[in-house]
Amino acid sequence: MGIVILLLMLAGVGLMLTRKLPTAFTLVLLAVAIAAVVGAPFTGENSIIDTVLQEGAVAQAATMLAVLIGSWMGKLMAETGIASTLVRKIVEFGGDRPTVVALGVLLVSALVGTVTGSAPAAMMAGIIGIPAMIAVGVPKTTAAGTILMGIAAGMPFELPIWQFFSTTLNLPVDTVRGFMLKLFPFAVVFAVLFVLIETRRKGVEHTWSLAAPGERSAADRRRNRARQLGDAPWYALLAPLVPLVLALGFELAIIPSMLAGVLYALVTTTRPREMSKRLLRTLYGAFDIAAPPIALFVAIGILLAAVTLPGAVEALNPLVTAISPGHPVIFVVVFALLTPLCLYRGPLNVFGLGAGIAGVLISAGIYPAVAVLGLTASYNQVFGVADPTSTQTVWAAQYSGISPQQVMVRTLPYVWCVALGGLIVTAATQL
Amino acid sequence: MTRTVTAALGRLGRVRRDALRAECAPLAELDDVELGARLLADTPTHEHRDPALLRHWAETATGFGTRLRSRCAAAEPRVVERPGGIDRLLLARYVSRPTPTVELFTDTLALGEELVDLLGWRDWYAEGALRATALAHEDAHRLLHGDAALRRALRERLGHTALRVGRFRITGHVAGSEELAAHGYAAARTGLGRSPLLLTAALASAIRALVRN
Ligand SMILES: [Zn+2]
Repeated sequence: MGIVILLLMLAGVGLMLTRKLPTAFTLVLLAVAIAAVVGAPFTGENSIIDTVLQEGAVAQAATMLAVLIGSWMGKLMAETGIASTLVRKIVEFGGDRPTVVALGVLLVSALVGTVTGSAPAAMMAGIIGIPAMIAVGVPKTTAAGTILMGIAAGMPFELPIWQFFSTTLNLPVDTVRGFMLKLFPFAVVFAVLFVLIETRRKGVEHTWSLAAPGERSAADRRRNRARQLGDAPWYALLAPLVPLVLALGFELAIIPSMLAGVLYALVTTTRPREMSKRLLRTLYGAFDIAAPPIALFVAIGILLAAVTLPGAVEALNPLVTAISPGHPVIFVVVFALLTPLCLYRGPLNVFGLGAGIAGVLISAGIYPAVAVLGLTASYNQVFGVADPTSTQTVWAAQYSGISPQQVMVRTLPYVWCVALGGLIVTAATQL
Repeated sequence: MTRTVTAALGRLGRVRRDALRAECAPLAELDDVELGARLLADTPTHEHRDPALLRHWAETATGFGTRLRSRCAAAEPRVVERPGGIDRLLLARYVSRPTPTVELFTDTLALGEELVDLLGWRDWYAEGALRATALAHEDAHRLLHGDAALRRALRERLGHTALRVGRFRITGHVAGSEELAAHGYAAARTGLGRSPLLLTAALASAIRALVRN
């Protein structure tokens, strides 16, 4: 029976890899198939209808809301000029030294990413940051990689991700925060190393181009027009720090912390008469941006509900026990080698089938939940940057005029090291 | 080589060639400072700036390049000529690693030469001047890249204040200013009658016309 479930998962991976079916739909189909195979009843306790579809669909509600508020905050920061001012100031101060400008853009992406999540952060930091880096001579692949490595450096503090791990692994937010604090140094060190090593290794590049630097798609030009608002005041630039300080420093709950950030960004930039209008407009706009991740989180909740059905756990337990390394050293080696399986929507992608696998590992009692947190959070650092199918990677690559695969090749060695660091910490402290 | 390019613009029908001439004529009406200001306006970080300030910066940065002296640099860069510039919208490129190299895209250069004839701009851009301009342009990047004091001088000349606290003042970097300095340097070195930016803009129009064809 366990084998049948694995085969179903494999078929699911095939559907996602070949892009026959969007990830979210594949996960839901997979969940229903697994529930049916393990003989879950149609309705009632541990059933397909009531447990998998009904309870599963809303299981990640807190994550979805965190994602939505993050997008809201992103919309607000874009509309009020906070994001563009941040990047512009960095470029003006960083001046003509490519490494300094890149380090500055790295910092801004990290900061913006903590509140808005990866995809919006890539655009907000990248729309100005990427052409600005290229203008001072940073080669294109390094420029795109810098944005993504910056986001990855901030990723341990991405509040919606805390909520996701807390819900998925059934761990208190405190525990998630604790591990992320240990993962953070690895993420920062390798992000900075990326900039220092790559700018040195690849040097500078100046082109006499026939395309104007800002001449991109029509959509980008529209975004540029929307941005012609002048500078946001300096104290408004602290907006991305507000949720972070509240959630990390004062250990406040995630959603209120993020709402405080939204309010701060609003009051520091907007005249009182326009506040409610702008707040509502940016909130509605945020639904558009947050739609893909929210759809995914509905599906992940459903998949998790299916793989944690008693029948599924029973079927998978012997299999997973047999193949999961117990010894800490083997744990590190095996899972470090498996890292590429989280790329290209692979089976270890935490925002996909990987969430289901994490659920199995915990419910089968193979690893403590904290160890699974370490495993999945480490993988998250990899595919958030290097996966050529993730939104932020595709966007940053295309906007820089290169292919997502080029970004993957350039960044993978660095993020692989971050994952290795996370795995070692996990094995040393939790196994 | 020249033959293939004649074929390039020759592929355009008479109507399209007239359309291209009509498209480029208004470009020639713009003064060189305005062309520089447009380059700055298209460079991110300048979205909301006053056009008058951009004109001032364009004039200053170009002038800085015009007066730039070629120093006896440590090593002359390698020069590589290759096709494939039109597809990537590139005329020339300078890379500092692994060895300092200037790449000249022969197809774009040849198209530029033919375009000068088509538009009757020979008085401004002499035969073969474009190649020399491209070399000088990338040379300017190399000069600026290797000399922090020179870059600081350009920044001081532009006088953009990024931060002021009382008497304390930090001059900010003006994105795009090095590109303008490089064009100014190249134009002066090769004795062009007009800014290389004019021909750059015309080349972009020509390539669009070829693509449409
Ligand atoms: Zn240049």
